[in-house]
Amino acid sequence: MEQAQTSASVASMQWWRTLPDRSDFVRDRVVPIFRYLRRNRLMIIGLGAFAALGLFVGISYLFYSQVDLLGEEQGVNGLVRAASVQANQRPSWNPWSGFPLGTDVQGRDIYAAVVVGIPLSLRIGVIAAAIGVGVGMVLAFVAAYIGGVVDAVIRTIVDSLIPIPGLLVLVLVATSLNPGQGLTVDQLAFVIAVLAWPGPARVIRSQVLVIRERGYVEMARMSGTSALGIIFKEMMPNLAPYALASFVAATSGSILASIGVESLGLGPLDSPTLGSMIYWNIFTSSVLLGLWYWLLPPIIVLIVLFVGLFMISAGLDEVANPRLRRRV
Amino acid sequence: MFVVTIWMASTIVFFLPRLSGQNPLAEKIYQEAQQGGYQDPDVAERVRVFEEKYGFDKPLWQQYVKFVVEVVQFDLGRSIFQWPKSVNEILAEKIMWTLVMGLLTLVLAFLIGSAMGALLEWRRNNWGLMVAMAPILAISAVPFFIFGLVLQLIVFNIDREFPLVYGFKQGVVGWPDWSDWEFIVSVLKHAILPALSITLVSLGGWAMGMRGMMVTTKGEDYMVQAEAKGLPDRVMLTKYAIRNSLLPQVTGLTLALGLIVSGVVLVEIVFGYPGVGGQLLQAVRSNDYPTTQGIVFVLAFGTAAATLALDLMYPLFDPRIKSDGT
Repeated sequence: MEQAQTSASVASMQWWRTLPDRSDFVRDRVVPIFRYLRRNRLMIIGLGAFAALGLFVGISYLFYSQVDLLGEEQGVNGLVRAASVQANQRPSWNPWSGFPLGTDVQGRDIYAAVVVGIPLSLRIGVIAAAIGVGVGMVLAFVAAYIGGVVDAVIRTIVDSLIPIPGLLVLVLVATSLNPGQGLTVDQLAFVIAVLAWPGPARVIRSQVLVIRERGYVEMARMSGTSALGIIFKEMMPNLAPYALASFVAATSGSILASIGVESLGLGPLDSPTLGSMIYWNIFTSSVLLGLWYWLLPPIIVLIVLFVGLFMISAGLDEVANPRLRRRV
Repeated sequence: MFVVTIWMASTIVFFLPRLSGQNPLAEKIYQEAQQGGYQDPDVAERVRVFEEKYGFDKPLWQQYVKFVVEVVQFDLGRSIFQWPKSVNEILAEKIMWTLVMGLLTLVLAFLIGSAMGALLEWRRNNWGLMVAMAPILAISAVPFFIFGLVLQLIVFNIDREFPLVYGFKQGVVGWPDWSDWEFIVSVLKHAILPALSITLVSLGGWAMGMRGMMVTTKGEDYMVQAEAKGLPDRVMLTKYAIRNSLLPQVTGLTLALGLIVSGVVLVEIVFGYPGVGGQLLQAVRSNDYPTTQGIVFVLAFGTAAATLALDLMYPLFDPRIKSDGT
């Protein structure tokens, strides 16, 4: 009896023993994901686009370097400082001069600016989307679980915020928070998060309402699982695809919003995000000056970024709604 | 819902600029006073008088109540930057450009996109359509104004004479003059690029939505019945499939309105179009509270009103929904 108890407590202490064998885990969990991915072409293309961007940024960070005006060898971070590679304010493009994409009006290496800009813009999107989806999720659970007046209030707020054009409110927030000198990258992310939550809250709330009525949730409730237990153990795993899909959509939306705010000149103008590159392009009307080599790189990167995110979220939709799998 | 939206919009619009703790009115007056080179001794007094006029001297809650009451009556106050113009006057000359551009592109994109999506599903193995759709889908994930920049770049390198910016040819005496035929041609020519950049980008979304709905509709029993009755293909497509698939698209329209408005504002700035976009940018830069508030409020109001109108019109599209039910 006593021995049985000790062996049981040892077993409970060594909880990892209850995990399946590593090879089993790979066979049962990891392989099916890849097998499924092979059929989900949208997701593959989206993830591929991201992997390509990631590789591009990573390799450039590691290996790209140029000699700056002071004659020092500089990596990408050194080359995006204003007037680091060119003193006079005349942009130029000459692939044989050593700068593959030329230099811009601020005397920076355009290639380096794009490389540094990609992670910065993504960072804004991810931070804003994480806050947005987090807040949205909490509100969704509160609304769907407590119901009654609380639900009505949250729903009314969410529904009445959705028709307000987001960019306009962001413009107001951005100008009133830090007039004149612009925001930092992280501040901009928080500003954008202000309007990133109603969408996810709405989507997730309706899903919570559906899942709450499922048999296994009922089962868990009857067997005395606490509300938090039900939320985290029973409902979260089934909500994950939806939450992930709305996270990706929110990331894309937040990057879009950040580019919009930045293009108005309200973002971090001294950090080389993709949006502020676009702003300087609009500001100096580079199209009319024929500086296409300055305008195109950020635009191409943004197109790859947005199309990639769009495809990933479409692919996740397919995971979340198995009905789409057979028909399309 | 509509009332709550309006109230929220006016509250946001009132409080946000006041968080910055700036005093644009005093700044403007000091700036004006210094322009003559001669220092007016009564500047402080003048600031006080104007603050009284704008009501900035009262406690915040009184300002707020006054603001909401006035805004509901569409009295948006006077601009600080372009004094003594009222915000209504400023909006009156700009809003039509934005409104026409927004509505036109929205309707165009909705109709063409839905038709394309329907055909795409109806003639499943039509390669021509699929090839045409691929680039449209690819750009549908790109923001309007970025595509606008690309268009500018392309057109500029094809035809240097084609108008890239502004709403009509600049520098002609007597324009804008809507009775002048040449002026109207100029306006249309200038509108092509911004309109294209919005329409082409939003086509893809509508087409995909429509296609998804058509997939579901095609599987319904009444489609089988229609086919069994031997109805012609065209009748089945228009009266059965499209009619039923269009309903969720109309719902999508209400959700897309806010995005369209934001997008149009940015496109206007990129193209130097004479709508409210450029005005908003200028007002934001010069800390012109009343104008910024007015523009944001009117745009939010317009979006909310359009959403309400669509909701009210929904029974027209879907006779199953009576206005007394839900």
